[in-house]
Amino acid sequence: MALSDTILVLNQMVADGVIRQYAIGGAWAAIYYAEPVMTEDLDVLISFDDVSGADRPGLVLLTPILTYLAAKGYSDFQKEGLSIEGWPVQFLPVADALDAEALEQAQQVDLGGVSAWILRPEHLVATALKVGRAKDLVRVAQFLEQELVETDRLCTVLKKHGLSEEWSTFCVGTGMRNPCRDVS
Amino acid sequence: MTGKYPDISDILARKEAARREKSAWPFQRKVEAVERMRERVQSMRAARERQRKRQSLLDQRLR
Repeated sequence: MALSDTILVLNQMVADGVIRQYAIGGAWAAIYYAEPVMTEDLDVLISFDDVSGADRPGLVLLTPILTYLAAKGYSDFQKEGLSIEGWPVQFLPVADALDAEALEQAQQVDLGGVSAWILRPEHLVATALKVGRAKDLVRVAQFLEQELVETDRLCTVLKKHGLSEEWSTFCVGTGMRNPCRDVS
Repeated sequence: MTGKYPDISDILARKEAARREKSAWPFQRKVEAVERMRERVQSMRAARERQRKRQSLLDQRLR
C-alpha cells in the first residue's frame, strides 16, 4: 500500500521500455510542492517510444501498458485507475504541446528514498488553468499565494501555450495582481 | 470588537502559516499524512455502507 512501491513499478516500466518517460502530475505533484491534501489516485503523464499509433484513441494506446501490468499481477481497477501496489494509477498519454513540454521538463526528485519524475510547478499551474475545474483553480491560487512558481517561467509557459487570456480572466476573477503583465 | 463582526485576520494568518509549514514538510511526512486521510475516508465509507445495509434490512423487516 506504499506509494513508493507504486513509483518503483513506474520506474521499472521505463527500464523495461513499456513507456519512454513518465511524470507524476495532479494532486500528488501538487502535494510534493504544497501542503498535503486528500487524494485517492495517482495521475501519471506518459509518453511512448513507439509513436506510430499516436493517432489512436487514448484507451487503445494504453493497451500495451495494461498487458504488461496484468502480467505482473496488476489488473484490478479502482474507479478509473489501475491499482498498483494499493494506489489507483491513472495513465494519461501526452495529449497536446503543453503536456509534451511538461513531460520533457519534468524534474527528477527523491520521493522518500525513491527516485521519481514529477511535473514542474509552472506546468502544473498551466495545466490546472487549462482544465479549469473549481478544484484546479484552487490549486492555481494556492501555488501563487505560496509563491511556489517562478513567475518568469510561468508567464512564458502560459504565453507559449495560448493560456494568457484564461490567465488574465483568472487574475481578474480572484482579484490577484497579474504578475505576467510585468514580465517582458 | 468595534463593528458588527469580529476581526479574524489573526486566525486566517495562522491558517496560512500552517499551510506554509505543511508545504515545507519532507515528502515522506506528506505521504504519511495523505495515507492517514485516505484510511479515514475509507473507514468512513465502510461505516456508511454498513449503516446503509442495516437500514435496508430494517426497512425489509418493517414491510
